[in-house]
Amino acid sequence: MSQNDTNPFSAIAHLESIKQCIQCGTCSGSCPLADLMDHAPRELFALLREGAFDEVLHSNTPWFCVSCYACMVRCPREIPVTDLMYAFKEVITKQGTAPKNLKMPDMYQAFSHNIKETGKVTESQVMARYGMKHPLDALKNIPLAIKMQMRGRLELKAQKVADPKSITRLFELTEIPKDKP
Amino acid sequence: MKICFYPGCSFATSAGYKESTEAVCRKLNIELNEIPDWNCCGATVMFGENKLRATTLAARHFALVQTMGFEDLVTGCNACYATLRKAARLLDRDRELFQKTQEVLHNLGLELDRIPKVRHLLEVLMEAMPDSTSDKYKTLSVGAYYGCQLTRPDQELDKGWYPEILEHFLARIGFSVKEHSARTQCCGASHAVIYKNECQGLSHRIIREIANKGAQVITTVCPLCQFNLDQAQTQNNEPRLPVTYFTQLAGLALGLAPAELGLNKLLVSADKVLTRP
Ligand code: SF4
Ligand code: SF4
Ligand code: SF4
Ligand code: SF4
Repeated sequence: MSQNDTNPFSAIAHLESIKQCIQCGTCSGSCPLADLMDHAPRELFALLREGAFDEVLHSNTPWFCVSCYACMVRCPREIPVTDLMYAFKEVITKQGTAPKNLKMPDMYQAFSHNIKETGKVTESQVMARYGMKHPLDALKNIPLAIKMQMRGRLELKAQKVADPKSITRLFELTEIPKDKP
Repeated sequence: MKICFYPGCSFATSAGYKESTEAVCRKLNIELNEIPDWNCCGATVMFGENKLRATTLAARHFALVQTMGFEDLVTGCNACYATLRKAARLLDRDRELFQKTQEVLHNLGLELDRIPKVRHLLEVLMEAMPDSTSDKYKTLSVGAYYGCQLTRPDQELDKGWYPEILEHFLARIGFSVKEHSARTQCCGASHAVIYKNECQGLSHRIIREIANKGAQVITTVCPLCQFNLDQAQTQNNEPRLPVTYFTQLAGLALGLAPAELGLNKLLVSADKVLTRP
């Protein structure tokens, strides 16, 4: 067992709120993608409360959170479940512990990279970058892309802000130094 | 009326959202002032990467709204709406974050002093649309689909789980509405693109529920919701319900022609159900 002793999540605002969790499972029961998560929200909070930090750092759960806020409006203890999922992702990204075979972090990176370079998101460009790592997935989307193209709905030309450098600069100014694990 | 509009990246390529919004606003004398040089709000991605960056990407528009002399900012995308509101809420509550954001924006030549109110296009049309005086669409039953991020988490517009404003709106402008219980169930958002098989069931559950309750057409208030529900019906033999935008129905209620409203861009055609003598 190589458990982290110090809590890498300790800086998160509202982390204390999980002590109020009564493990009722309303969050997991409301969650559209709970089936794909290794530890649906209720379980993730239990693990975190018990100090299983490595489990949480490597969990796929935050990456499957689609931010639908169903859990958050239903939790009887008013725990900001969705906000915590965002905060977990931020810590996990910083620590570089996202599961290696997971598609979502690559998609997020492709999305973020597109904004950094152009200030906007062009679906075909995001898919192209993501497709470098997951060619099969990108191929699967081609039939739909053709349909969209026929209806004039696929943006192939890159959307851009007037001065893309200013957005790249925004990214640089908000960079946080990476923690060494 | 003049509004300051944030289209977001999916607006222009969506299935007639842009066409119908522009046509309806023209008809109602609403001047759409697009934020010049807007950028992507960062959606659900950026808040999981870096909070200050996410807030600043959104707040860049708050500074631009200020230079344009507006108090409110209007968007038609649920994801943009939720993201911009989240940034506004955080800036409002967190003094330190506000100052840091101001600093970054200042470095980019922008000044941020106040946070505009972020509103959804639905609110604007709820105020501006006249009551229906015709029976033309009285027999067309519509299932309203809100998606998940319009009333959650802050529940300011309506209840988080079972809102009703869209039904009220549709009834008022002359459509018949069908009650159903999938109104805020999530369609899988961007996950539906790369976890297609896993998420397909989410959209189908929504479509089936709305079809079972007897609706002939679905109406949405968000480009991604429309896209997911529309494309989910292209590869199976389930009920096929056209997935429209509320602005397209508003346009029909105002007597505009389907072609003007971009209705030809839907993947599941609406021609049959919308044809009226
Ligand atoms: S709904 Fe709230 S109290 Fe219940 S398990 Fe989830 S976080 Fe805990
Ligand atoms: S916000 Fe995230 S964790 Fe909560 S129910 Fe939705 S997908 Fe699940
Ligand atoms: S949330 Fe989606 S639609 Fe809105 S700006 Fe970002 S990418 Fe574009
Ligand atoms: S229903 Fe889907 S696309 Fe619509 S707001 Fe929710 S996650 Fe986004």
